[in-house]
Amino acid sequence: MTPMSGSWADAENDIPPTEVIENPDGTKTVISYKFDDKHRKVKVTQKIKTVKVTETVNPAIAERKKWTRFGDEKDNKIVGPDTRTTQFGEEIKFHLSASSKKDEEEEKKSKAKESTTKVQTLKCRTCGGNHFTSKCPFKDTLGVDLKKQEEEKMNMAAATGRGGMGRGAGASSYVPPHLRRGANGELPKASEAQKEVTTTVRVTNLNTMLSEDLLREIFSRFGYVQRLTILRNRETGESRGIAFVEMDTVEHAKSAIEKLNGRGIMNLIINADFAKPRGER
Amino acid sequence: MIRPILLKGHERPLTQVKFNVDGDILFSVSKDQEASVWYSSNGERIGTLNGHKGTIWSIDVDQNTDYVITASADFTGKLWKAQTGECIYTWNFEAPAKRVEFNPESKKALFVTDEVMGQIGTIKIFPIDHLKDEQASTAELEIKNDKGVSARFTVAAWGYGGTTIVAGHANGEITKWDVKTGACLGRVKAHEMQVTDIQMAQDKTYFITSSKDKSAKLFDVDNLRLLKTYTSDAPLNTACITPVKDFVILGGGQDARDVTTTAAAEGKFEAKIHHKIFQDEIGRVKGHFGPLNYIAVHPQGTAYASGGEDGYIRLHHFPKSYFDFQYDVEKTAKAAKQQELERQKQEEEGADEQAAVSASA
Repeated sequence: MTPMSGSWADAENDIPPTEVIENPDGTKTVISYKFDDKHRKVKVTQKIKTVKVTETVNPAIAERKKWTRFGDEKDNKIVGPDTRTTQFGEEIKFHLSASSKKDEEEEKKSKAKESTTKVQTLKCRTCGGNHFTSKCPFKDTLGVDLKKQEEEKMNMAAATGRGGMGRGAGASSYVPPHLRRGANGELPKASEAQKEVTTTVRVTNLNTMLSEDLLREIFSRFGYVQRLTILRNRETGESRGIAFVEMDTVEHAKSAIEKLNGRGIMNLIINADFAKPRGER
Repeated sequence: MIRPILLKGHERPLTQVKFNVDGDILFSVSKDQEASVWYSSNGERIGTLNGHKGTIWSIDVDQNTDYVITASADFTGKLWKAQTGECIYTWNFEAPAKRVEFNPESKKALFVTDEVMGQIGTIKIFPIDHLKDEQASTAELEIKNDKGVSARFTVAAWGYGGTTIVAGHANGEITKWDVKTGACLGRVKAHEMQVTDIQMAQDKTYFITSSKDKSAKLFDVDNLRLLKTYTSDAPLNTACITPVKDFVILGGGQDARDVTTTAAAEGKFEAKIHHKIFQDEIGRVKGHFGPLNYIAVHPQGTAYASGGEDGYIRLHHFPKSYFDFQYDVEKTAKAAKQQELERQKQEEEGADEQAAVSASA
């Protein structure tokens, strides 16, 4: 370095020499300067402790460590393990337990259970099995009962609602529209009965980007949101597009459903309805 | 969790893997006519032993890791220098050699030859001269199988002191032979089907056999007494006894020829770890996608290597949980012992104090 020749501006670019300080506790402090990628001067302070590690090895093993390669590996110049022949495998479970067989069987069982519940998308209305209702093997036995039950129900409804007028017991399978389920209040609707109990709204077809906060904001317009959960993939944490929102009162929940069902939120038209209790889903 | 090292040096199914005495080097042989030499610590391949013209069925290494001996289906056995991979001697047989092993002093080697093409299955013992390359071409002792082809020798191993040999047979029998006279010292029907492997414990006083009948058994060398039985859910090709911990590791799986017709999970291609004393299965190690043909355990008990029909060697260094594992009864026994010790200590201290008090009085 020539001290006087450069201008003062060049002094900015000078890097002070590295300092090494011997600390009393046997460690060394090394202070060095460098420029980072944005051309700023950076001071680097490193504290170094030298530790001597003595390892005792079998002399025969140490000798064998020096073996030169032979055979097919003779011309291999790669130092250390060659990835063509030596690779790390995937990490695998290693667990020893006195009841390992039992554990494994249980695990298998639970897995099998999971897979069957996942696969089951069909549900027979007659027996609840995993097939179409029309293909039900119990169609003839169970199905009849079910039909009968339904008929009886209809008759009952007819009897109570309309004073037993007009229809004889089990006369025909035809049900007039006003007596059909879901018609204006003649028959106590099963879903309505639940609506009175639950204050939880099930929202589906949500945009996966929709967060809990935003959903809470939307629902809090209709009343106080007691609890709100978006179902997420357990591994990735990604939203499954389904949320359960528990409102404070049935009225609030009802109004929320009325206003929100079929509305578009974040490019998707959402469905909102009362959540059904666990057993029914 | 455990992360195995995959050694992909062979193109065909592995037939045997073996550690040297110090456990730093791993030898492997396969059906691709090559033997490989590896460092067991990092899985680096040091070299290959080239020269056989057929499947190499078996390999062994001497006490000082100077010599390697191989037995091959090309009707030969070869002696190699371990450090250079140079073949220094070749024995010629009339039948494929299925198994080879140095005796405990590495002064002799036994070969098991197969019973095919009109030949009689034989265990041949050759002296090994470490001072010169040229070896005796005639066997010092031949033990011939006189019970017919169904009872042919499949495997053999040296007993303690190198005075006896135990052999496994295709009909499930195990026999014991005197090395000096060639006399049969014992014959036991150990298994229902072929004995596929015999591996000695470290002190060579007892050994484990594995069989196609889905079981492995522990026998005493002295009188071929059955000590323990380990049952598995698939035909076994190999079994070994781990030092340090009282475990055995069994390997096998569905026969190679049936593999393509069933799912991998059905094949049971797992190494099964059983407790040596309690006999229960305590763990499994997955990974191979073909049956396991051979399992060798590190002499210090820190690792094991398995060679599979899939052409891979998987080298597993045991995690801490392996060494920590204990049965509840073992734990309670240990705790009870500890308590006993403490009580004794306290009593002693109490006695000392009393003595001190009486002395001062």
